Amino acid sequence: MGLSVLLVSCARENPNRLSSELLPVEGNPLVSFRVLTKVGSAHDPQGKEGLCQLTCSLLANGGTKDLTFKEIQKQFYPMATSVGLRVDKEMAVFTGQVHLDNLEKFYGILKAMLLDPGFREEDFQRLKTNQINFLEKTLVGNWDEQFGKEILNLMMYAGHPYGHHEGGTVESLQALTLEDVKAFYKQHFLQGNIIIGLAGGYPVDFPKKVIDDFAVLPEGFTAALGLPDQRMPDGLEIVIAEKKTPATAMSMGFPVFLSRADDDFFALWIAGSHFGEHRQHLSWLFQKIREERGQNYGDYAYIEHFIQGRRKYPATNYCRQQQYFSIWIRPLANSNRHFALRQALLELKKLVEEGIPKDRFELTRTYLLNYTKLYAQTLGERLGWQMDSHYYGYDDFLAEVQKRLPSLTHDDVNKAIKKYLNFDKLYIALITEDAQSFKDALVANIPSPITYANPNMPKEILEEDLIYQTFPLDVKPEKVRVLPAAEFFQKTGLPENK
Amino acid sequence: MTKQLSVFLTALLLMFAVPSILRSSGIFPYEYKIKTLDSGLTVVSIPLNNPDIISHYVIVRSGSRNEVEPGKSGFAHFFEHMMFKGTKTMPTEAYNDFITELGAGTNGFTTDDYTCYFVVFAGRENLEEVIKVEADRFINLYYDEEMLKTEATVIEGEYYASVSNPSRRLSETLRNTAFEKHSYRHTTLGYLEDILDMPNQYDYSQLFRKRFYVPDNTILLVAGDFDHEQLMGYVHKYYDDWNPSNYTLVTPEEPPQTKPKRAHYEWPTRTLPLLAIGFHGPAYSDEKIDLAALDLMAEIAFSRSSALYLRLVIEEQKCQSLSASFSDHRDPYLLVFNAVVKKEEDLPYVEEAILKELERLEQELVDEKALADIKSNLKYSFANALGTTDGIASSLLHYLNLTGDPGTVNRLFDLYDKITPQDIQEMVKTYFKTTNSTVVTLSGGKAK
Repeated sequence: MGLSVLLVSCARENPNRLSSELLPVEGNPLVSFRVLTKVGSAHDPQGKEGLCQLTCSLLANGGTKDLTFKEIQKQFYPMATSVGLRVDKEMAVFTGQVHLDNLEKFYGILKAMLLDPGFREEDFQRLKTNQINFLEKTLVGNWDEQFGKEILNLMMYAGHPYGHHEGGTVESLQALTLEDVKAFYKQHFLQGNIIIGLAGGYPVDFPKKVIDDFAVLPEGFTAALGLPDQRMPDGLEIVIAEKKTPATAMSMGFPVFLSRADDDFFALWIAGSHFGEHRQHLSWLFQKIREERGQNYGDYAYIEHFIQGRRKYPATNYCRQQQYFSIWIRPLANSNRHFALRQALLELKKLVEEGIPKDRFELTRTYLLNYTKLYAQTLGERLGWQMDSHYYGYDDFLAEVQKRLPSLTHDDVNKAIKKYLNFDKLYIALITEDAQSFKDALVANIPSPITYANPNMPKEILEEDLIYQTFPLDVKPEKVRVLPAAEFFQKTGLPENK
Repeated sequence: MTKQLSVFLTALLLMFAVPSILRSSGIFPYEYKIKTLDSGLTVVSIPLNNPDIISHYVIVRSGSRNEVEPGKSGFAHFFEHMMFKGTKTMPTEAYNDFITELGAGTNGFTTDDYTCYFVVFAGRENLEEVIKVEADRFINLYYDEEMLKTEATVIEGEYYASVSNPSRRLSETLRNTAFEKHSYRHTTLGYLEDILDMPNQYDYSQLFRKRFYVPDNTILLVAGDFDHEQLMGYVHKYYDDWNPSNYTLVTPEEPPQTKPKRAHYEWPTRTLPLLAIGFHGPAYSDEKIDLAALDLMAEIAFSRSSALYLRLVIEEQKCQSLSASFSDHRDPYLLVFNAVVKKEEDLPYVEEAILKELERLEQELVDEKALADIKSNLKYSFANALGTTDGIASSLLHYLNLTGDPGTVNRLFDLYDKITPQDIQEMVKTYFKTTNSTVVTLSGGKAK
């Protein structure tokens, strides 16, 4: 056991050349890799949606010029390692971790996978089929919670580079060719797009070797995405994906015009954490919907795009220029769907109009100061947070949290809520059955009482229910689209109304 | 920079020592202390002089295995939810505020054999309070019938959260078909009809608690930045009043399967077809070679580097995935092969390919080189998980549940080292008999 030295290094002087993120931990027997490309699904050419993911997938899950993917699998196996891949809108990251015993061997293969890809037709067909199957079978048929989130994305970013699933559409994927993949690789796998991330007990001269190797990539970079303004919804815009199901999934939200780089982020973060901290009892929505009423498994809210990483902590390397606020209501019995939607929106209205209570402000701030200490535990997580910190302009974002939060006031948080959140302009994605009757009920604002297994519910809950069940929602019939679930992700955007 | 932050960051710089794997004599390299108190509570302590994080786990050896009475499936998992209802002196709101201010990563989860409650937090100065609060809820849990009724409907909500996932249905169907008597017949979530009846089970919940939420059925595991003697002082101070039950669980004995079984589930929406083949197998042991040999066989013949995987997934592209899962259980469980198949018409082809591979393993000895690769993989996989305080603690949970002794990890890996190709062949012949098989398929997509 001994002290290690944290040397943060990020070479980024020349935009045409490689950058690196180094986190040496002397004596640690593991080495974690994160090779990040500043290119994501937002860079997919029109009509070729899914191309970035398919290209990266062919690198991470296909052969090299010298090794078939079968041979790679065989060589990785005794080392208990693999190459992982995450693709988001503006970045994709290749990950791997290996014991020092096997560093040279693993790195030799990883290098060949990224720099000398085999681009074999059989790998291409296999991965393309998997990507199509994911969209039309797994996402639509087997995973309603995620399906709801993806419908929200389609609504929020219609006509925007973020506006398609990272995997593309069935139609665009079917038209993609191996030549498209090769062309995308050639166009975007440029030195200036790549950040080499290394953490752990690697030898001192190892980073230089990696950087020298990756310098075979052409110099240059992909021009920054010129993202159009995000479109706020026109009142309540609702899409109901109809399928046979006993439970209704809900996701809703709207663009927020700030990111982690903004000073206001920290104040709004406290508000978001209070209102819906991911999978924590702290979440106000969780308390109202699950704890008090037992309606579902959980209810959360986020002020930026959120992907859960290890345990419940946020995953890294999903940085975006544009962000959105969202509420996620986990599936609940169809009979309670109208009530729960009203409940979420009334609580949001109260948050916007009344702000966060003083005691909740104090509690949430203390919580975040402590909880964020758990975010970066593994080598990979530490490296990921380091990379994201630099993306948003911080030396160390998690250290910044410790600096910024103590000086925030209750008033700062309430001002941020007023500035960025609203309760009457939302995109709402619902997955349920008997959609037309739900639409009719929403438009007609008919009362939506719920019943409980407990015949002796507390009086204050029942009184509050009377308010929830008649809370008027301004739902205009022309703003509610009922669409067959099976038609999603076939083509770009939402399915056509019939 | 605040002093607190400075201390925290300094602590983060400390390294974890994981020895070079193939040269190590014990796969689990950390020193631990284990003590069983008079009440029967087992305490496993792993002081680590590294990052300022402490992982506190309570393992109650209560899982779906313990749900031996009809109509009570899913009860261990339900009781996990009730454990968050607080005590008379610290009601749920106060408990939640304590955890929130601590900024702890906390939750519970239930498996076939045990239920686990964890609190992962920063700051050794918080250890006493965590021990005190956690001991309080294990000893003095309080909830009334109305609280139970409300929480019961949360379980229904949890059921709905994954209702669109066909893998869950496949697993439910496999267990329900393969087992006749044993409580492994149902999943941890339980049958829907039992879930819907949970609001009426207040009295049974008290009986369940009296039987299983007792020190002689519980293991406390603490790993991280603390002093062992100080920990034991807190444990005695806050746990010594907990009374044992001396209850002995008798799980129904599963009769030997005498003929092959088969079931199909028609999924209501589009899905990739799924295949599961289960064979009744042995319970976990770090002494008998049966499951250890089968573990190695599963890796050799069905892992991502195996000939069959490479053929079905990479070359022929009949499957999206293929795996073998021979999970460790306290009682004999199933040896399960799973495949996600791309086309429904290929389900019989994939089933036959798996069964033929098992026949081949009965006839031929596995390759020594493949066996060496597997042993290497298992060791590096285990070592990869040991990179953090919480990784060290959570890697032990499973084994502590099985035997109550962390030493079982090293004994198991020693056993792996001794397994020969002949051992594997013998075990394949013993367990993979057609009469011992259950095949379940799931497909659908005709409805919208």
